[in-house]
Amino acid sequence: MAEMWINMGPQHPMTHGLWNLRVKVDGETIVDAVPEVGYLHRGIEKICEGKTYTQIIPITDRLCYGSSMTWSHLYCTTVEDLMGIEVPERAKYIRVVAIEMQRIASHLMWLAAYAGDLGMSVGFTYTMRDREVFVDLLQALTGARLTYNYPRIGGVAHDLPPNFVRDSIRATKYMEKRLKEYEDLFEGSKIFMMRNVGIGVLKRDDAINMGVTGPSLRASGVSYDLRKDRPYEAYGEMDFQVATHKDCDCYARYRVRMDEMWESCRIIRQALEKIPQGKWRIVAPRNAPAGTGFGRVEDPRGEGTMYVVGDGTDKPYRLKVRSPIFVTVSAAPKMLVGYKVADVVAIMGGLDMCIGENDR
Amino acid sequence: MSEGGKASSAGARDIESAPSRIDANPEDRVLRALAESFPKSVSDGEKVRPGLVRAHIDRSDLYPACRMLRDSLGFEHISMISAVEYDNRFEVVYHITSYSTRLVLELIVPTPKDDPTVDSVSAIWGGANWQEREAYDLMGIVFRNHPKLERILLPKDVLYHPLRKDFRG
Amino acid sequence: MTGKDSPTFGQAMMFRSKDFLKWSDEQMEYLLRKSPVGAGLDLVTKDFFNWATRNSLYFLHFGIMCCALEMAVASAPRFDQQRFGIIPRSSPRQCDILLVNGPVSKKLKPALRRLYDQMPEPKWVVAMGECAISGGPFYNSYSVVPGVDQFIPVDVYIPGCPARPEALIDGFLKLQQMIKENKKGLLTGR
Repeated sequence: MAEMWINMGPQHPMTHGLWNLRVKVDGETIVDAVPEVGYLHRGIEKICEGKTYTQIIPITDRLCYGSSMTWSHLYCTTVEDLMGIEVPERAKYIRVVAIEMQRIASHLMWLAAYAGDLGMSVGFTYTMRDREVFVDLLQALTGARLTYNYPRIGGVAHDLPPNFVRDSIRATKYMEKRLKEYEDLFEGSKIFMMRNVGIGVLKRDDAINMGVTGPSLRASGVSYDLRKDRPYEAYGEMDFQVATHKDCDCYARYRVRMDEMWESCRIIRQALEKIPQGKWRIVAPRNAPAGTGFGRVEDPRGEGTMYVVGDGTDKPYRLKVRSPIFVTVSAAPKMLVGYKVADVVAIMGGLDMCIGENDR
Repeated sequence: MSEGGKASSAGARDIESAPSRIDANPEDRVLRALAESFPKSVSDGEKVRPGLVRAHIDRSDLYPACRMLRDSLGFEHISMISAVEYDNRFEVVYHITSYSTRLVLELIVPTPKDDPTVDSVSAIWGGANWQEREAYDLMGIVFRNHPKLERILLPKDVLYHPLRKDFRG
Repeated sequence: MTGKDSPTFGQAMMFRSKDFLKWSDEQMEYLLRKSPVGAGLDLVTKDFFNWATRNSLYFLHFGIMCCALEMAVASAPRFDQQRFGIIPRSSPRQCDILLVNGPVSKKLKPALRRLYDQMPEPKWVVAMGECAISGGPFYNSYSVVPGVDQFIPVDVYIPGCPARPEALIDGFLKLQQMIKENKKGLLTGR
């Protein structure tokens, strides 16, 4: 059979965000794959060198817009490391609640797009409807639906609104009922299971060596979650399990994300029960000392890290962002070779790509 | 990370002058192994805070040091490769993680301003491949023996390196 | 009918098939586009075709950045833009609207221009969000084109960062109003 290169993208319903996947096919079987990224490059690292530390927070929101709370939180954590300031206890708990709600909203968005791509439009409509519950809660907390601009260097922007605790606990109980329904809906569908089980296998050693992190790594059997292994904010006091799965295929990645949503509901309830009174923000100094800061968090897509270099002024000298998807996509050829062209949607969709953080 | 996040002199120790004894914690073990295997290249090893150690290394010994880190010290995962430009040098900063001991090693490799070249470590960790391409694309650091050192984020025909300080966009 | 020395009907019956087709094409062209018959047909059907066009606007399934998530949410059960007839389609040949919902980088600019050129007439362009209008928070970046109207003509601008789904639906309704006011006959184009 003749081999040929096929271009999938940059405008393709499968690509959420803009990237190009060139696959070399022999008949229907994939022989090689080369992802091409960079269509969304905005030069964020250069922009950040010209803005003050607080002005950068809305820009880091727009790094990955599917889970923007985690990126602005990561940035604030890194700068707090550089400045050497400690956040009050109440702010730590509020941050945990906001991040876990964002994690549920991000996973629901992923599930909506994934189900829609695999042909189950009913999955799209149901999950989008439930995502609105959490987006409403986050809108009550922060004032915006998608890019929140909520964490500040030294805490969070404002306190919890009235009735927030009651509404959030109600929302998590509602979500757990819906998660049971989703499991029946997706795992009861023979087509969904056929398109996922045994597809896109990434072995454990390959995953570790290629730098894959997050749910894709935990689906390959490595139980590493920064919230448990290097606890930050108030995660040290939370009681939850790390979702791991030992088959390394698309079904395992789907299963890990569903389990993470269960755990997030538990964490939100625990955090809201244990939250102490007190200040939710301390005022950070305007100028940062000369030195470096390093921060890492567990993003819904993997391990996000940032490295900031300060030079004594109120603007950073260098801000470097490590995006988990950037490294996971570079491991995509290993997952694609040997499968059919129709499996590309399931494999690449299962990685939960958000191109905003990929291209920066 | 907000647990004791001060990079202060209270935690920094110059590991070469510590008395030899059984190391109780993995941070000291790593710094000791680096200092003993590459005594001329490694300098300024310090423990920044529990879970983060930092060392400077010469670029000539980078590849053997990384091989030792992966094979015998259990650093299986390369988290981040950054490139910073200062007045008189470039610095390539590697953050390498160990899953078994949950330690992060920050390895800083200075290069002269007119010759920003280091060896590529993508043969040791596959995850370094695209990160090195990005450092080349945006900052202009050349990685020797990289399998495919091309631009990745900017269009292929662009001639400038935007993150350099003399580039005004 | 079309000119002094165009063949008459009797002569046309004697043509070979290729020439006959060309002749009958020219006759129909004149009849529909330039003669009063065409103008009369237009007068009768103009309102109907315009109603059909503005109530079934298909936009291109093309998401660039954050506003793309709000575009997806606008199809979700809560905001539901499909009740206005607005449905995403995958191929640019089938679309009426190019919805630009994010910053256009210099690498993307030729691809976007190609997509615009592939769409058939009548077509409209909607710039959603600050990034498409003027570059947004990235206006001074080295790799972002400050505004999509630098290389594509835009009909509706929807501000917001990100634009709420209600704002997107409002923008589409304004576009429908615009189409209603500029009624053009399909045959004569007037």
